[in-house]
Amino acid sequence: MKRNKIWMAAFLAPAIVLFLLIYAIPLVMVFGTSLFEYRLMPNRFEFIGIQNYIELLTTDPVFKQAFVNTILWILIHCTLHVFLGTLLAFILYKKPRGWKFVRVSYMIPNIISQSAIAMIFVNVFNPQYGVVNSVLGALGLEQFQHNWLFEQATAFPSVTMTWLLFAGYTTTLVLSQCLSVDESILEAARVDGATGFQLDVFVMLPLVKKMIGTTVIMAASYMLQLFSLIYITTGGGPQSATTNLPLMLYQTAMKENNYGYANTIGVFIIVLGVVSMVLINKAFRMNESDY
Amino acid sequence: MYKNQTAKDWLLTFLKYVYMGLCVLVALFPIVWVIMSSFKSNKEILSNGLALPTSFSFDGYVQALEISPIMKFFWNSVIITTTSTVINVLLLAMAGYVFARCRFRFKNALYLLLSTSMVIPMTAVINPVYTVIKTLGLSNTRTGLVIVYAALSMPLSLMILRGAFSAIPPSLEEAAYVDGAGFCRTFFQIMMPCAKGGLASAAVLAFLNGWNEFTFALVLTSSTDVRTLPLSLGYFTSSFSFNYTAMFAAITMAVIPSIIVFTIFQEQVCASLTAGAVKE
Repeated sequence: MKRNKIWMAAFLAPAIVLFLLIYAIPLVMVFGTSLFEYRLMPNRFEFIGIQNYIELLTTDPVFKQAFVNTILWILIHCTLHVFLGTLLAFILYKKPRGWKFVRVSYMIPNIISQSAIAMIFVNVFNPQYGVVNSVLGALGLEQFQHNWLFEQATAFPSVTMTWLLFAGYTTTLVLSQCLSVDESILEAARVDGATGFQLDVFVMLPLVKKMIGTTVIMAASYMLQLFSLIYITTGGGPQSATTNLPLMLYQTAMKENNYGYANTIGVFIIVLGVVSMVLINKAFRMNESDY
Repeated sequence: MYKNQTAKDWLLTFLKYVYMGLCVLVALFPIVWVIMSSFKSNKEILSNGLALPTSFSFDGYVQALEISPIMKFFWNSVIITTTSTVINVLLLAMAGYVFARCRFRFKNALYLLLSTSMVIPMTAVINPVYTVIKTLGLSNTRTGLVIVYAALSMPLSLMILRGAFSAIPPSLEEAAYVDGAGFCRTFFQIMMPCAKGGLASAAVLAFLNGWNEFTFALVLTSSTDVRTLPLSLGYFTSSFSFNYTAMFAAITMAVIPSIIVFTIFQEQVCASLTAGAVKE
């Protein structure tokens, strides 16, 4: 038995070391250094209390924009994006002709890397030969052509389009949940005279509500990790119209070497993550059991 | 009344197929357009973005491979992602097994601690992770990325694998112990083969996460010797600025392997995604 104890420790140790290195220590560092003026070249490491927080919240216009954009994108993603994916799942679970093909095709943009999607959309929105302007030109609507990713008015919606419609994960997850529902429940509802629409809204929807909640959580955390799609397409510009918190953090840390300030932004990202997780859990009553 | 009903049904069915068609169009058209453009000459691309290529030429692909070390990036991605996936699944299978089967003090607290790391948006800790990796002397190395990628998929793998080991009937293990097999041998020879499904799910998710990861690769590496495929596309914008054909070819080469692998293993991938979501 004693030998087993040693083996248990040996089995746990590597995972714990990994956890300490990549999660625990960095997390402590983020919170700790957010209270410091911390730069390299020239080296500075000086305790300044909550000065970074005050500066971010009161005087930094880029932070304000990044914060608003991040929240806006979370809201759009958690509602519209999840709705689009769920709608498709509700169509596909009845297995209409070609449903497998639709499921696989719709998943493809989620399987290839975000940087590839970003590069594809750099070209789709290209003002000279991009799909959008070409189509508008072919329809004789030249007055609606734009340099989509680089004009103040169109940059935000254009960047949003690089992820908004690709709800393959949502569809896959909700669909698999729909397909696992016991056929007898649906049959009972049909015998009671429920129409297709009633069946979807009053029987199926409550049964898959938790899975939808899970996809909403995934959507929120996806938006809090959003980086390459913006970094490659607009770089956060024009001015800071399409910047978000992760991008601002990256620029503050890697371009300005202002680590304390960057890590303060990190604290905001973590807090946003926890808050949205709690709110979504509450909204979908994820902790209560179904019956 | 009856006629009305069928007209409504017909309209609903019609709308259903329109929506399905739009979803496929939205998902596939941009990719198809990129692949098609990779066969056009620069001039053709600039004169009409939507026209079909007049002739099929693979010049773009040849040029893309000459201009940038895509193959190098590709192999880096293969090496880094495979290694990190194997390490991730092995370490978390070991940990997951202990959590599923053994009793010790603070077990639940420890499990909670390890699995709540899932809540942290990892973009928030880019900078300190960079500091840690640099302190270990692993910045700008493949090993550094392997460690980070193995850790990124940790919470998800842990949940999936603990679940997989919990589902195995304890009698199997007891029989192994009675036969005199030790802790280690029981784990590797009896338990691991029984948890194949969970191992596969965790591996698929860890592989996907690593293969497509961009942010940490950007921050932790700087030389072409160690950079990965997602990054190679990142600086195509500048180095390819006037060779559109080569750029389209490069994008195509970056996405085609993923699409092929996914189409072959789609059932397994979808099942893995579901396994990851249900365990939350």
